[in-house]
Amino acid sequence: MALAYIATKEHSPQESKQAKAFIDSFLKRSLHNLQEEEIQRHTDYKAVVLEHKYNGKKTQKKKKSKGLSAKQKREMKLFHLKPEQQRSVFLPLNELWKQYIRDLCNGLSPESNPQMIQSKLLKADFHGAIVTVTKSKCPSYVGTTGIILQETKHVFRIVTQHDRLKVIPKRNSVFTVEIDGFITHVYGSKFQLKSSERSAKKFKLKGTIDL
Amino acid sequence: MATNVKDKDAYLRLNFLYQAAHCVLATNPENVELARFYCHTEKNISKRLVLRQDPSVKRTICKKCCSLLVPGVTATVRQRKCRQRQRKTVVRCLSCGKTKQFLNNPSYVLWGDRPESQPQYPQSQSKQVATQKPPVNSKTAR
Repeated sequence: MALAYIATKEHSPQESKQAKAFIDSFLKRSLHNLQEEEIQRHTDYKAVVLEHKYNGKKTQKKKKSKGLSAKQKREMKLFHLKPEQQRSVFLPLNELWKQYIRDLCNGLSPESNPQMIQSKLLKADFHGAIVTVTKSKCPSYVGTTGIILQETKHVFRIVTQHDRLKVIPKRNSVFTVEIDGFITHVYGSKFQLKSSERSAKKFKLKGTIDL
Repeated sequence: MATNVKDKDAYLRLNFLYQAAHCVLATNPENVELARFYCHTEKNISKRLVLRQDPSVKRTICKKCCSLLVPGVTATVRQRKCRQRQRKTVVRCLSCGKTKQFLNNPSYVLWGDRPESQPQYPQSQSKQVATQKPPVNSKTAR
């Protein structure tokens, strides 16, 4: 109503008079229980200051992350193996691994190209393999044999024949893997990668091999 | 599997890791950590090489902590109501508590099995990317 009242002000004086009269009568009719002054007050031209409503900083909803952070993973000990592991439990894993390697190399035979097998083994998985340390800077590691349970960036965790979990650093040692009489040496210093990253990495052929 | 699949070695490796995780859990149900580690590496490899995992594989791995979900051993499976005459299967990981929900809809067809997901033009049909060979001891989520 106030709007209509304001709008009428812009017209010519005669028209506005008529309009005013009409509106007054209309208001009286419809709001007959209000006093005239009150009506006047209600319909007065009012300057309304439109304020920018600002109610504090809007807190952005944090994206709910699905995964765990590295810290949480460490605290939950997601990948910590218990020190007592039985070797006999992991023999089926070893069988599975042998099958996998045979599958990967299309049946190991002495005639097959050793280079091709080497390049395949580089990207293969070593979990479950029986491994022996042949050379190492630290002499106490030499000769330990066991099934690889876990391969991390710097370390192999193996289970030895005496049902003990041993942690062997890759650095400065050479491992031997035997599959069906096919003996492969793995230079640990060149292998210092996460096992998942190894499958994507390109290895350089040349390079000095140093213990 | 077709003979000329790209990244065949990687697929073999994924297959092996998944089976190894099952093998470890089957022989020693206490050893959740090792199975989880294998699943974690599997997930990472498929991430790095951008290989699609089969839904039947994906549904048995926890999204949060990567542990292998075997009903009764590392996960609980419950049937819950969700709407009228609708039930859902809720799989809860026992180590981190993350849940997966599947509607019990027998007429649901996976996107990969639908006809419109296949490329339309006939020339590229010979180059279809084969999905990962389902492992021997896989258990489908549904």
